Amino acid sequence: MTAGHDHHAPHGPGSGHDDHGDHGTHPPGIQHHYDDAQHQFDSGKLGIWFFLAQEVLFFSALFVAYVLYRHHRPEIFAYAHHYLDVKWGAINTGVLIVSSLSAAWAVRCAQLAQRRGLILCLSITLVCACGFLAIKYIEYTHKIHEHILFGKKFDPCVSSGGQHLLTNGDHCPGTKRSACRAADVDLRPDQPGWQVACKVKETTPTGTRELPVCEMEAHHHGPAHAANPPCWEISQNPWVCKAGDFNGTPGVAALVHYGDHALRGSSTKIELECDAAKAPPTPDYAADLPVVGGLGQGTFQPKQKLSDHDLGVQRSMGPPPEHTNMFFSIYFCMTGLHGIHVLAGVIVCIWLLIRAVKGHFTPQYFGPVDYFALYWHLVDLIWIFLFPLLYLIH
Amino acid sequence: MSTGNPNVSYFEASHGIKNWLYTLDHKRIGLMYLFGILTALMIGGAFALLVRIELMAPGETIVGPETYNRLFTLHGAVMVFLVIIPGVPAALGNMILPIQLGAPDVAFPRLNLFSFYLWCTGAACLLLSIVFGAIDTGWTFYTPYSLGGDHTPVMLAIGGAFLLGFSSIFTGLNFLVTIHKFRPQGMGWFQMPLNLWALYATALMQVLATPVLGITLLLLFMEHFLHIGIFDPTLGGDPVLFQHFFWFYSHPAVYIMIVPAMGVISDVLTTFSRKPIFGYRFIAYSSVSLALLSFLVWGHHMFVSGQSKLANMVFSALTFTVGIPAAIKVFNWTATLYKGDIRLKTPMIYALSFLILFTIGGLTGLFLAILSTDVHLHDTYFVVAHFHYVMMGSGLVAFLCGLHYWWPKFTGRMYPERIAQVCAVGVFIGFNLTFLPQFVMGSRGMPRRYWDYDPEFAIFHQISTIGAIILGISMFTQVIYLMASFKIGKKAPKNPWGASTLEWDAPSPPTLYNFPEPPEVHEIYEYDDIVEESPDNWVRVNRKGTGTKAEH
Amino acid sequence: MANPAADKHHDDHHGIAHVASLKVLLGTWILLMILTVATVGATKVDFGPSTNLAIAMFIAVIKATLVVLFFMHLFYDKLFHTVLIVAGVLALALFVGFTLMDSNQYQESIQWNYTVPADPPPAP
Repeated sequence: MTAGHDHHAPHGPGSGHDDHGDHGTHPPGIQHHYDDAQHQFDSGKLGIWFFLAQEVLFFSALFVAYVLYRHHRPEIFAYAHHYLDVKWGAINTGVLIVSSLSAAWAVRCAQLAQRRGLILCLSITLVCACGFLAIKYIEYTHKIHEHILFGKKFDPCVSSGGQHLLTNGDHCPGTKRSACRAADVDLRPDQPGWQVACKVKETTPTGTRELPVCEMEAHHHGPAHAANPPCWEISQNPWVCKAGDFNGTPGVAALVHYGDHALRGSSTKIELECDAAKAPPTPDYAADLPVVGGLGQGTFQPKQKLSDHDLGVQRSMGPPPEHTNMFFSIYFCMTGLHGIHVLAGVIVCIWLLIRAVKGHFTPQYFGPVDYFALYWHLVDLIWIFLFPLLYLIH
Repeated sequence: MSTGNPNVSYFEASHGIKNWLYTLDHKRIGLMYLFGILTALMIGGAFALLVRIELMAPGETIVGPETYNRLFTLHGAVMVFLVIIPGVPAALGNMILPIQLGAPDVAFPRLNLFSFYLWCTGAACLLLSIVFGAIDTGWTFYTPYSLGGDHTPVMLAIGGAFLLGFSSIFTGLNFLVTIHKFRPQGMGWFQMPLNLWALYATALMQVLATPVLGITLLLLFMEHFLHIGIFDPTLGGDPVLFQHFFWFYSHPAVYIMIVPAMGVISDVLTTFSRKPIFGYRFIAYSSVSLALLSFLVWGHHMFVSGQSKLANMVFSALTFTVGIPAAIKVFNWTATLYKGDIRLKTPMIYALSFLILFTIGGLTGLFLAILSTDVHLHDTYFVVAHFHYVMMGSGLVAFLCGLHYWWPKFTGRMYPERIAQVCAVGVFIGFNLTFLPQFVMGSRGMPRRYWDYDPEFAIFHQISTIGAIILGISMFTQVIYLMASFKIGKKAPKNPWGASTLEWDAPSPPTLYNFPEPPEVHEIYEYDDIVEESPDNWVRVNRKGTGTKAEH
Repeated sequence: MANPAADKHHDDHHGIAHVASLKVLLGTWILLMILTVATVGATKVDFGPSTNLAIAMFIAVIKATLVVLFFMHLFYDKLFHTVLIVAGVLALALFVGFTLMDSNQYQESIQWNYTVPADPPPAP
């Protein structure tokens, strides 16, 4: 650390300062308290590297939150990432990498006094950055529209596999919140991957109508009591049933999907109301449903065991696991903060472009371009990690 | 860089309010910081006095419990964010660091001014939250309690603290680059004053730890504003996570408070013992190792917050290691004093107070590092007393020490020595009266942040309040005579203390670019060639014995 | 202040800083694009959740290293700058590691949707 300009001559009025602000021996752009251009450039570079180290720490807490929640609640992440469109994420990654190239090239142009090249490269960086923001805008508006948001606002109209869901709010077409009803079904335990398929029917004073299929995961919390029609605590979103909710309201049934971990080693009874006139929705499952237009009992056998992948896809057709909103809290915080940094970069890039057009940058003075490029590379770096962590979860 | 007349003092170099508000001169910025920080000190102190008066007797004395909660929260927030964290680095560091390096300014003067305005805006937001109902969450904003209640004051306070955090980061960044790039020929890393080593270590912590506070406060702000749910258990969040995030910064933060203080003490002790500092390299290395080790121990604030046993044990063990560099410093300082030619000027009184109070504070920290005793002592007055001993008895005392030490240099005026010495003793006595009883009552079970208490603790509270009043009077008197010295203080010579570091070769007060002529870089902490020319005026003589004092 | 001609013989002994060569820039860019395609393609194949994550992170680290070394010039730059960024990453790793270790331990004892049992009626 004692090489180069770490040591310099102490300053006094003999080294070129006077009270008229005349630059004296200093070239334009070099501030007075620096010895020369190299000194200023090196100091600025060190400063920007400290700033980048600080930025890494600024994002750190979000990465901590991500790692923690993904580690402890993997089912949330496995489910929710289907809501994200990999195509847009990949395009964004490509766009940022191109802008990184043009930023690095811009520095080279500035160093070589290639003013046109500098302006071109900065413009490309700017266009790519704006493109990134535009794609982010598209993604965000889609999510806002579908109510795929954070916290209590997470109330999606569709499951991450694309099926309609019953929501808490009344904001989605074709779905509606309904009351619960218990039904009895004798199910085989230790049969992973099989699915009971029925229809949901709502009977109102004006008649009967069918609601979109809603599949939920059941968590067994105790043996069934025949006397008190049991209500299984069913997955939160979009439909919460707790003990006591079942009030015998006619017309609506609970559909149940037993995942392989819910029932292992236990025997359960669940009541369903099924419409025997309709076939189960997916041909992969055969359900012998001796159900006749009302409360029915049936035994179900899987025709085909689902692979892990298909299980994942099937799960994504169902309602979100409890606390899926956490994924989106993290998603919006991480991409939002990153987007703010991109926006700040856009503003700085515009300012640099103006200065470049005015010819401020020379091979002796190109620090601002270099420092901006370093910042921009860090923004790209962060996205390089965000993309697989958020979009490419398997 | 600043424009103006470089041949007169920086006060005279340019005139008008604009030349202060838009100044790029680190000395003017440091002075403005100083005024802000002293004002905040008075405000925080006023809150403290109100708290102590309320606690004079069990039950309500002057305010009810809701107001009481707000008073101690504001006292904590103002003192931590507005006074102690910026204190030595922003006020004293800004003024002195470039001059100690023989440099004309910091590396990034515009960033420096921006840092100052961030401080002002952050302070305004924090204080504005009082108008909107004030926060009652404790200065630590623990979730889930801080998630509820009225959103506006919490959001304002958090926003203010966020801006203050960035002020701290940019100041630290500036100092780091300045120390790397503006050391003169002849001043390698191990020829720097120890004050600069301390400021360097502090700046490392400021740059690496404070962004975590930034993101934590941002997330908390989002929780309030948008209910994102990261810390909210009803939405699946983890409230203990907030504590991890918060303390990852706030533990290094307390080292940001103490390490620059130690730097001041290193410089002052050697000057007023007229002896080279003992163990220069050890003190330098211990500053940096404190900075690094400080990142490893944040969990010791969470021993009883639901943190796992494994983490508790790991953090407890690591916390013991953090006491080692601090102890090394205390040994070295004591060895510096040994056989020294002690002069009991005001800065020295503060420095000696620091030694005693820091030892007490540091040792009581060990009680809290031990898991078994911490379970008993956590959230009692023992903790309150411990951190006041280190933050106030050491941190603030060192700030006052440095203030008095460098006051002649950056104002060109002497403060009244006798009154100052009396106040310094008053601070020492008042401080001990205030906080020693708190150790006792804390270990007997008096909880902190409680508005009411059992009558068995009343006597301790009363002694504590009397001490606080003595402390308050001493502090307030200092502000008065310091401000008065601008007008009526004796004109200060270049080197009133016979100190050996480079800033004492600059005029008092310095010119616009600090040195009218480039200073000669010489060995520091050597006193043989500094002789007393006249009472209270020391000069450096060269080897041939002819004086080099020149009037500019 | 002679401006050097825009030729490729510019090296860091004559200028203020090292000038990146076009070959290095374009080469890095192409590698990055290829790796992006690779990382998306890797998700199409099911290696199991942990392995997929490991592959994705491995590719991301390679991409990040390329960006840092060549786009950000760290390969040609002062060692201290590398120390800085590594320090930042180490602090991040420390933060993640300790917090994960702690939260791992207390997960089993979390009771979600816990309702406080009602107080029993006061004894007569």
